[in-house]
Amino acid sequence: MIYLLTIFLPMLLAGYIYLFTRRIGGAKYIALALFVALFIEAWLTYANLLPSGYTILGSYLDVKRFDFVLTLQVDRFSVIMLLLVSVLLIFVTLTSWSVKHQSAYFSLLIFFAGPIFGLFMSTNLLWFFIFWELTLIPVYFLIGIWGDKQRIFAAMKFFIYTHLASMLMLLAFFLLYKQSGTFDMTQIKEGVLTTPALIWWLLFIAFAIKMPLFPFHTWLPIAHVEAPAPVSSLLAGVLLKMGAYGMIRLVVLMLPHQAQKYDYIILILGLATLFYSAFMALYTTHIKKMVAYSSISHMGLVAIAISALSFSGLSSALFEMIGHALTISILFVIAGIFHEKTGSWQMGDMGGIMQKAPYLATLFVIGGLAALGLPSTIGFVGELSVLISAIMAHGVWLAVIAAASLLSAGYFIWAFRRVIYGKQSKVVALTNFSINPVVFGALVIFAILVIAFGIFPQFLFSGIDRAFDTYHLLGGLA
Amino acid sequence: MSAFVLMLFAALFSLALHRTFVFKPFVLLMIVLSGFLIFLKTPVLMYGFAQSSATNLFLLVIFIALLAFTLSEDKEINITQSLFIGAASVLILRSATLLTFVFSFEAVSIISFAVVGHIRSSIQADGAVKMFISGALATALIVLGLALFTFGGGNFNLSLSNMHFNAFMEVGLWVMLGGIFYKLTIVPMHAWAADSYANIKPSSAALLSGIAKSVVFVAVLKLFEPFFIQTLHVSIFILIVLSVLTMTLGNILAMFQKRVGKMLAYSSIAQAGYMLMVFIAVKSSYAQIGLLYLAIAYVFMQTALYLLLDNIGGGISDITLDDVKGLVKKDRLVSFFFAVQIFSLAGVPLLAGFMGKAIATYAVVDAGYWIVALIALLNSTFSIGYYGWFIKNIYFDHGVKQSRVMSVTTSAKIAQIILLGGTLFFGIFAFVVFHTSFCSL
Repeated sequence: MIYLLTIFLPMLLAGYIYLFTRRIGGAKYIALALFVALFIEAWLTYANLLPSGYTILGSYLDVKRFDFVLTLQVDRFSVIMLLLVSVLLIFVTLTSWSVKHQSAYFSLLIFFAGPIFGLFMSTNLLWFFIFWELTLIPVYFLIGIWGDKQRIFAAMKFFIYTHLASMLMLLAFFLLYKQSGTFDMTQIKEGVLTTPALIWWLLFIAFAIKMPLFPFHTWLPIAHVEAPAPVSSLLAGVLLKMGAYGMIRLVVLMLPHQAQKYDYIILILGLATLFYSAFMALYTTHIKKMVAYSSISHMGLVAIAISALSFSGLSSALFEMIGHALTISILFVIAGIFHEKTGSWQMGDMGGIMQKAPYLATLFVIGGLAALGLPSTIGFVGELSVLISAIMAHGVWLAVIAAASLLSAGYFIWAFRRVIYGKQSKVVALTNFSINPVVFGALVIFAILVIAFGIFPQFLFSGIDRAFDTYHLLGGLA
Repeated sequence: MSAFVLMLFAALFSLALHRTFVFKPFVLLMIVLSGFLIFLKTPVLMYGFAQSSATNLFLLVIFIALLAFTLSEDKEINITQSLFIGAASVLILRSATLLTFVFSFEAVSIISFAVVGHIRSSIQADGAVKMFISGALATALIVLGLALFTFGGGNFNLSLSNMHFNAFMEVGLWVMLGGIFYKLTIVPMHAWAADSYANIKPSSAALLSGIAKSVVFVAVLKLFEPFFIQTLHVSIFILIVLSVLTMTLGNILAMFQKRVGKMLAYSSIAQAGYMLMVFIAVKSSYAQIGLLYLAIAYVFMQTALYLLLDNIGGGISDITLDDVKGLVKKDRLVSFFFAVQIFSLAGVPLLAGFMGKAIATYAVVDAGYWIVALIALLNSTFSIGYYGWFIKNIYFDHGVKQSRVMSVTTSAKIAQIILLGGTLFFGIFAFVVFHTSFCSL
């Protein structure tokens, strides 16, 4: 019952907060308390997991005729996602500490927490879809109301594009139900399906749009750029991870034979995403766009790791997902702060921020170095493990991935040169970079995590490695 | 048929109560009593009519919508007419033979003409006249079809189940369906609907497009199902083309509208396309439930939206998208009602519109036409273009100073809460619909 509340209470609470905290304020404290509680709940769930397979949390609203049953089950993979989401939500709350129209903003954020928890806990595909679709609504409003100049275009494109992905996914789920007689993803066996290839392609395109993989990525750069900075980190840290989660859970683990048949498609799109976004990041002079393309480029790495279809590949994909969420969040928020303070997005207008705001600049450098994969940061461990698992699966030629790391070194170090160091620009000289200590604290904590997990990755790996070891039956997985 | 008699009595007697303070309480009481009679499943006791748990559930939904309509509407004559629509709905949903169906169908039509009859301006006259002419044409086709059918079948009063159809009967039924499709706003018989729904008083459009149309849809599927099942090999192509055309054209045209009423009218045509899509899946066991669910959701969403439009426009139908810009700053509650019902139309989960669309689409997949389902789902994505744009105008834009939007009365807000409750309830508690069936009680 507590898990049912976890999903539906935030959705109900959101309306209450919207109506009753407008005058008295305090929405952010409620949001923070709720997200901390969610984190503790996720942690307790993690501690009480069964050693292998799914832990059943409950089953509700049983409509047998259409298998409309809210089945809540978790395994290690989904609980790790829950932990990541709750940490990100806490981070987003803290970095939005002084946002405008707080009651509406935080009630949307609280609303978002319900379906996102439901998504990772539900094993009934119909409910998976319902939660998937529900997460769109708050993000649509967050971009549309708090976004930048082109917010409306960004919000509409986000909504239409991701809704398209959802519709393809829904059709795939319907075909799965017709052919296997159940919506429960743990019960569906690939062998009984009559059109597994069709289903695989529908699911693959749906999740490729969400992840996003080239050429389905065009909704994301504009959404990232126009969204307020904390929402950008929510997009990168949570929404893209939904795509990667679906890709692993449904495209690879549920349909392993089709995944083996088409693994080169995932690989090619992953490589295309990796290099295309890296070049775009190198080309752009817009600081947030650069971070956005760097974020997409990392999702390309996740796709390459998934295409390895091995335990090590999936674990390194999960590790890279966590690393990406932590580092990109820092970069998005600081890029947003730079814009807010200087009034410009152009890296050319900034310069010499290190002299004016040394702490903030240092945090940006730490985030950038982690994103380019410097040893002793979480980025290095992620990229290295992806590289190794990809080479093991597809051959030595995949060492070419390292070149992408070189490209990211190119654009980040060039960005440091233009924004952080170099001659102090007139704009920067006139700017006061003081920020809310709560926001700063959140950034520092994330920077510490980035370095700590870079030096002691075994803490994360000990959990992640066991996430996929129950899938013994997968065709090519060794 | 005690519910029908009570509704008819209420409609006639309410005429005498106009301009008295007991009018609204009397109407509300009568609707509740009729709903109660439906709930008790009082026997039908009339040849040619039969009740089933599904139609009873749908009638309850209709009565709830009428309750909300009564609370929201200020013109007493419209409320009286809505009671006639309620009575006719009981007839048409319970008709079990072709004759009773045609009879009740005409009852709905004639009341519809009366509903659009309040002409205050040339724009409203345009809508009313278009509806009247197309309605007359539809009636002519239906009567011709009935004549052909009777000629082929040799009997006037037949139910369609367990029957072998000869050529005359088939042609007759198709001619008849051609007439009915006029009423259901199926492309290419849709042209009147956009103007009529958009130009008449929005609350009348709520009755016509929200209630009358869904009632006819459910009644047609219920009565014609055996015919469709037997002749599907011939008709499948026509039905697929018609439904795909209807949903696609409705969505495309809705995208270009500046007036909210017209946008909703085209969206209503698109929804008719989704409903017609279910007809190609009649062989699936999910078809009836799918259409019923779609219709139930549609009653709540469409009635709510047109009533809101009526409230904020003061009964005038020319509210544009520019007028609702920044509405959230003026009235948060009304904006919220708009948003939820629009999201439900767009198919956002945990709202009735999603479940309706999902089950209807699944019925089509179940029947083996996944490509048609894909087209419907892509259409649904397409519709986000204008539904999302509408929400954007309300929430993201800044208001124009001299907005023509009027404030909404408390009783209208209560009406909206009732309709919102319906949208939410049927979005989550699907078992209520799944436990019903169209088999006669």
